[in-house]
Amino acid sequence: MRFKTDLRNIRTFSRLVAALNSLEKIAWVRLDDETARFTVIPDTGSQVWASLSVNLIFDNYSIQSAEPSNTINLELPLGPLQRALRSAAGGNQASLRLTKRDGLPMLSMTIHAMTKDGGGPEPRGGRAASGFSGADPNDPFGDDPDIFQQESLELTLKREREKVITQDIPVRVLHPDTVETIMQPKVREPDVHIQLPPLLQLKAISDRFTKLALTTSSSSRPGGGPERNNPKLELSANMYGSLRLRVAAESLDITSVWNGLDNPELDPGALSMPVEEHPSTRFREEGPDKWATVRVDGKDWSRVLSVGRLDAGRVIACFSDDHALILYVYVPHHDDEASDDVVTYYVSSYSA
Amino acid sequence: MGVLNFTLNEDGVAVMHDALMCMFKFSDDVCLEARKDKLTLTTLNVSKSAYVCFTFAAGRFFSRYRFDGNAQYRDRFSCQVYTRSLLSIFRPRQSSDSAGGRESTIERCDVIIEDGPGRKSRLIARISCRNGTTATHSLSFEAKAPTHAKFEKNEATNHWAISSRTLRQLMDHFGPSIELLDINTDDDTRVVNFTCFTEKAQKRGSNTNEAVLKKPLHTNIAVEMDEFDDVEVEDKLHIIISVKDFRAILQHAQLTSGELSTSYSIPGRPMKLSYNNDGVLCEFILMTVGEKDVMNQKHKNPRGSSAAAKAARPELDATSHRESSVANEKPSQQVDAGLMKPPARRPIQQRSPTRLRQPHFEIRPQPMPPPATARSDSLFVTQHDDEQQWEPLNPDEEEDEGDDDRLEWNSNNEPNPSTMRISSYVDRPAPPEPQSLDHLPSGMEPTQPLSDVRRFGLFSS
Repeated sequence: MRFKTDLRNIRTFSRLVAALNSLEKIAWVRLDDETARFTVIPDTGSQVWASLSVNLIFDNYSIQSAEPSNTINLELPLGPLQRALRSAAGGNQASLRLTKRDGLPMLSMTIHAMTKDGGGPEPRGGRAASGFSGADPNDPFGDDPDIFQQESLELTLKREREKVITQDIPVRVLHPDTVETIMQPKVREPDVHIQLPPLLQLKAISDRFTKLALTTSSSSRPGGGPERNNPKLELSANMYGSLRLRVAAESLDITSVWNGLDNPELDPGALSMPVEEHPSTRFREEGPDKWATVRVDGKDWSRVLSVGRLDAGRVIACFSDDHALILYVYVPHHDDEASDDVVTYYVSSYSA
Repeated sequence: MGVLNFTLNEDGVAVMHDALMCMFKFSDDVCLEARKDKLTLTTLNVSKSAYVCFTFAAGRFFSRYRFDGNAQYRDRFSCQVYTRSLLSIFRPRQSSDSAGGRESTIERCDVIIEDGPGRKSRLIARISCRNGTTATHSLSFEAKAPTHAKFEKNEATNHWAISSRTLRQLMDHFGPSIELLDINTDDDTRVVNFTCFTEKAQKRGSNTNEAVLKKPLHTNIAVEMDEFDDVEVEDKLHIIISVKDFRAILQHAQLTSGELSTSYSIPGRPMKLSYNNDGVLCEFILMTVGEKDVMNQKHKNPRGSSAAAKAARPELDATSHRESSVANEKPSQQVDAGLMKPPARRPIQQRSPTRLRQPHFEIRPQPMPPPATARSDSLFVTQHDDEQQWEPLNPDEEEDEGDDDRLEWNSNNEPNPSTMRISSYVDRPAPPEPQSLDHLPSGMEPTQPLSDVRRFGLFSS
């Protein structure tokens, strides 16, 4: 079993890992010839299935496995991976390979990086380095600290060498049988599908609602499980471009509505049924007052929306009325390649 | 007129504050030692594994410096003060507006130390600010001789120097939970390796599936020897120090733009790090982890099983045994202030249990209870023969065993549900070993049926 690759788009990769890590600490990674799939399945909360084409985050990718269709399944802690990627982000070049250390499997990241030496002492309040003490920042004739920086930079650059940093992330190699039983959730055809407003906006308002509900509920209803106490947000959408976010607690009931959103056209070829029979057609026919509604956990929803850090292009939400909410987050490719990289969130929802 | 009078300018106050901040990371109090030509601040950490010494040159660092020896203190005066009180005196005072805020900053600071027969022992610091405010602080202190760690220069044949800022930046690559830094060289590839690792998780590891994934990031940084100055190190020598100490040093060292020099001999012997800055000499003496400690750890790692823990236990179970050996040692050691005597676990146990988690207390050879006032020039030096008898005492095991349960549920209150879930699938094909069954957290069983249920009705819980 071999796996070796260079890393590219480290920022995107790193942000994806950060988004997943906010939901769950350990991910299941499935690698094959074309795709790298990251899956997190928290005990409570939303599941994520992120399916990325290999060339989005990898370069010079090589995989070799005795398992069917050249697959490697790994269980991987996201925290250390994120940490390693942060270390790689400042480097010149990074690669990843599956290896063993002390008999334990490791995902080993090798990073080539420089340090930025030279320059004055770290900027810190209240003090210039003793030596050029009286320098007034506003004094045009005073010593310009930049000049010092450049000088010392030249001095040290001569000897500046590339450092090789190795970050070993502990992993477990999973047997195909063990992951066979983990299935992507199957959900019925959605009643409403709609493109979400900018996630930052949606998240800010959702978080605000959650906080408001928290402050009112904590005083009135102590006790009960922590999850149960989390405020629930009611999320609804129709086939006429509207999304409604509502929080209702004992002493408050707030609703925020977005209009003019896009309900993407369905591709008849990809459907298992004629478009006319699709549930969304029925919802459209019944007019703008026909809403598909789900209830989500405020805190979990906030973690889901943290995927916004990916600078995601489009996010399509699929509502199954009173049943399920699925988000498809399209990962942007920076080099204009046709992208079918999608992060799928199965948002856990609650009955009223 | 006091024993010691000195004046610091604005920068001097800041430098003094930086130095005290750094020392504060090692210990709560600091020893001042004044002579005619220099003022020395020293401190020793609780486990006596790290010693810090800042020397301020009288002529270069101070705007004014005057030592008046009296009958009692002819050529030097020393006392011990709480670092925290000094920190609050020398703290930077500045307005938030950095451009025009200089009025409220410190202009100068006059310090007088009064002591002697018939005099009250006091340290008086008068801070004069640019806006005309003057604040006077008066501290009491304990006149006592400082403890100095001794470092055998001749013996430390390995040495190198490198820009402290480069080193500081390298530390950024290390993860947050690591405890030990292994510095080693490879003559073939001409690199110096900085390897960070943690023993803890591996020890506790057993064979359970979660433990493997809970191990922190293992980081190695290879730096070409060409980047070092004055490098002369025995090939393949591994020298291990505490990351926490090293970080604290670099945090301060990066404020100076100079080079940091180190010298050391062999594992289990002290390592010295030093750098110079404008009239201030900063020296640190750190105890390195002994070779045998390392070997012990290494042997434990692959197995890491409870069987190994059990085998080790007989030697460390009896607290009384420990105590008596401490007691036996006392007469001979106290004279030497046995700085680096291995595990006298007692004093530390009495502290809060959280202390135990701190790495260097576990791995470092532990000291004798400090003979507070004894002058001890022979620190670090006398430990040849008795090292052996202390060696097998590895107090970690027992406590870790006790820790285990608590750690699973209390301090680490995220039992990592997904691992358990996924590993529940993993455990299915292979019959679980009885041993690992013992170690499975009891949360396992409820999780399994729940996960089964969830696979059917994911969206309605």
